[in-house]
Amino acid sequence: MSIVLPLDEEQRDALQELLNISMGQAANSLAQLIETKIDISIPKISAVTPTQLYSLLFETEDAFYTRQSFLGDVHGEVMSVLSQAGLSEVATLMDYDEPLSKEDIQEIILELCNILAGACLAGLSDQLELATNLNMPTLFLPDKANFDELQWQHSLVMEVQFIIAISSFSMRVVFCLDDESLARMKDTLDELLA
Amino acid sequence: MFEQLVGKLPVGIGIVDENFKVVYLNDFFLDRLPYNMRDCYKETPVVELFQGQGKFLKRRLKSVFVLQHPSFSYWEQRPHIFPFKSSRPITGEETQMYQNMEILPIKDKNTGQKLACIFLQDVTAQASYFRAQQKLSEALKKEHEAQKKLIRKLDTAQSQLIQAEKMASTGQLAAGIAHEINNPIGFVNANLNTLEQYASHLIAICDGVQGQLEYFTDELKEQIDALFESNHYDLLKDDITELIGESTDGLTRVKDIVENLKNFSLETTEGVQIVDICAVCRQLITLISAQYSAPQYKFECEHEKVEVMGNPGPLKQALMNVMINAAQAIKDKGFIKLTVLNSPKSVTIKILDSGCGIPTKHLKRVFEPFFTTKPEGQGQGLGLSVAYTAIEQHHGKISISSKEAKGTVVEITIPKQPAAQAPSSEGDEENKENEAESLKFG
Repeated sequence: MSIVLPLDEEQRDALQELLNISMGQAANSLAQLIETKIDISIPKISAVTPTQLYSLLFETEDAFYTRQSFLGDVHGEVMSVLSQAGLSEVATLMDYDEPLSKEDIQEIILELCNILAGACLAGLSDQLELATNLNMPTLFLPDKANFDELQWQHSLVMEVQFIIAISSFSMRVVFCLDDESLARMKDTLDELLA
Repeated sequence: MFEQLVGKLPVGIGIVDENFKVVYLNDFFLDRLPYNMRDCYKETPVVELFQGQGKFLKRRLKSVFVLQHPSFSYWEQRPHIFPFKSSRPITGEETQMYQNMEILPIKDKNTGQKLACIFLQDVTAQASYFRAQQKLSEALKKEHEAQKKLIRKLDTAQSQLIQAEKMASTGQLAAGIAHEINNPIGFVNANLNTLEQYASHLIAICDGVQGQLEYFTDELKEQIDALFESNHYDLLKDDITELIGESTDGLTRVKDIVENLKNFSLETTEGVQIVDICAVCRQLITLISAQYSAPQYKFECEHEKVEVMGNPGPLKQALMNVMINAAQAIKDKGFIKLTVLNSPKSVTIKILDSGCGIPTKHLKRVFEPFFTTKPEGQGQGLGLSVAYTAIEQHHGKISISSKEAKGTVVEITIPKQPAAQAPSSEGDEENKENEAESLKFG
């Protein structure tokens, strides 16, 4: 990506490592709850424009989208992309009865996001010693036109993918931070590195 | 003080332990418990106290205890977790309370015991508003669809009207032309007949002279021979009959066209009478099968007789033209099926053929006068326009649908009692209105 990351090399490595740990914790949480093995990808950290964010996230086919904001020492949003494939297997693991109604599916999606995003955020803020509170997740139907009109220029995104081994289900979680929070996180990272 | 505050908060606050047993409930929950249970709710499993969505509640509580992470639930997906009545049992539109729920993991400060705090929000007002909005938007959507349909209908009606207009103006033009051409054709025809006679007389004279040639003197014989020679008598004699024959043929064709044009403008003299459609159809099948033997002809009608009030001439002409088209569409093998459907107010005649069909780009134009795909000289492109005008004159409807290489269906519907065709201007006005009606709703 041509845009220079607002983080330097050291900060980036540190953040990636922290993310790796917290993502692992998140996967662990979910695995405990649904009693199955979960794989995670190596976290990706990049800076994107609104349009890039849109294509990064919402040009996935056959997917559900959610968003969830968090407040506290850092502010931002978590967006998740869930595959439609394999969702019914996950639903069975989560103790839902077949057949799934539309409401059931929505509930499962929201709960999955809440668990994963919540666990990631909790892990990350624990390690950075930042206090955060996650608000409730909502379903999201993004519109490209709206994205092109967003006010911000660049945003730091942290992306990780969860794959449930026994089904074809996969899910991507993307964290975005606002500028102020980014500055705070950089400071915190520097303190950690010092 | 805080105890009071928490108790009176307008949201439900309940605390349960790891076995899902109730530790604390605020007034929001207590107010909604059965009266006899208000003193003995502690230590009761929460799913026994509030029956209904027990399985769901347990699952969520388990998730909170295991993950130590909040859990959310919304009225859209799960409206009634706790079996509470709406807070307005008398005036409200909803009978059950719509709820948003949030479960937070907490810890007892003194003992360190893991607990879960349930927040319950009454969102009945929002939910009912939202649902009303949704109903409204659905209604709007339906209305929008209906409007779209109407617009499409109007579009078709408009194009039909344009077509009708075109036909009417061409019809008038055709009538005028037919009339104008008829006179010159009359005298040209008469003259041509006379000319033919004169020519045969002249040839007879010349042949007579030639026969008598040997009785003439040599000098005269030579002169006459030279005269024949210089005027190319042999060629002239052969050609003159041929030329006149061709001209007569051509004239007959012109007369045919004019006749058709007159049919097109429908200057009919017979007037309205009872017409038996079944009889007409059988008649036509006999007539056409004599000329076109390739197709198989079938006739289907539940009744022996189906009668309408109409002009027999134009009606027959219309059906005939459609039938001929059908017959010509079949080259080697196929069938033509005529179906007459009788309904209380109208008769529908379906002419179905398994012929070559009409390309979509031509389908729009088939009723246009002079539109034809036949080679020049073989068709005038008036058949279907004549049929169109005839059917329209009867306030009926003719429609055509076709698939290339599959076949064509022409459907003709004629009302049994045509609107009064009074010659007064008032009557005409009425007719026009009726016509417009039948175009729109036909």
